[in-house]
Amino acid sequence: MNKMKIASYVVFIVSILAILYALIFNPADWIVYAIAIVCIPFLVLSFGLISMSKPIKEEEEERREEPFTGY
Amino acid sequence: MNLMAQILINVIIAFLGGSLLLGFHRKVMARVQLRPGPPIIQYLLHSLKFFFKETTFPKTASIPFYIGITVILAGIWVTGVIVGPVTKGSLMILFGIYAIHKIVEHNAGSSSGSPYGKVSCVRAVFSAAGELPLFAVIAVVFMLTGTMDISGIIAYQAANGPLVLQLPLAAIMFFTLIVTKSPYSPFAITKGKEIISGFETEHFGMLRGYIMFSESIAWYILLWIFLTVFFGPISVVGYLIGMIIICIITGFINATTPMLNPNHSVMAQISIAVICTVGSIIMIII
Repeated sequence: MNKMKIASYVVFIVSILAILYALIFNPADWIVYAIAIVCIPFLVLSFGLISMSKPIKEEEEERREEPFTGY
Repeated sequence: MNLMAQILINVIIAFLGGSLLLGFHRKVMARVQLRPGPPIIQYLLHSLKFFFKETTFPKTASIPFYIGITVILAGIWVTGVIVGPVTKGSLMILFGIYAIHKIVEHNAGSSSGSPYGKVSCVRAVFSAAGELPLFAVIAVVFMLTGTMDISGIIAYQAANGPLVLQLPLAAIMFFTLIVTKSPYSPFAITKGKEIISGFETEHFGMLRGYIMFSESIAWYILLWIFLTVFFGPISVVGYLIGMIIICIITGFINATTPMLNPNHSVMAQISIAVICTVGSIIMIII
């Protein structure tokens, strides 16, 4: 498992826990806003990074040099 | 209800509602152009599908920035949901969100390393003047109602009738902004087809799905603000009908109008802002 995958799982779990904390313990409004603004985007991003399909090793370099990059 | 639960429910409604409205908007455009068009649910399916597509990060991209900018885009629109439907807060914060949205367009374009993204990045700076109508609307609404809070504006309309009847030129100005932000808009110079997908060109796969998630929330919030600020306290059915009508009108405009060149796009928006602001002030004074 590469670094990105591990980081994604960590961010995903931390985001879920923070959102659950706000849901269950009902902290002060500003804490809920901070959790929502930071954790909802990170939750969706980390879910995407976990769920996305990776190219096979031989094709990865080719994919990284997509035609639109130009140079 | 618990505040976090309210935020989560509103984010999900904004995502699903915005996705379906964007799908409907595309359908209207297709029908106007005598094409069958994709199903209304297609935008939503695309957003979800991209989360599972093969994704790589381009060699030329500045990776932390390239990924981080998509998080900022989602963050500002979650803020939009909080300031809008959840707390009915200040319009000035929403103006700030649109200012940051321009920065996102600029930085998403420059971080990718793609020449198309860079052209879009330059155009994002150029088209920042297109946010003038929003600022002018906020100023004019404040002059009449004495408040920038959406809750205060709703209360004013409950007592004095909808603002669209008192400030029709300001409503036109805001509608111009909606046309500007709609897909395939004549004013959407940052995403012109001659530069592929502009600042989004290199954000493919999972990151494209993530951007589409944010954009569907952005579209829902924009329509929600327009209906709330100009039509006052309306029911859920009222919002639904209003949003559908706006999508039909903008779909018709976008299907029949070619994209303007950057100079004309910015000058047209500034001209509309100036004419409508002066007209609105005269109407308030009279």
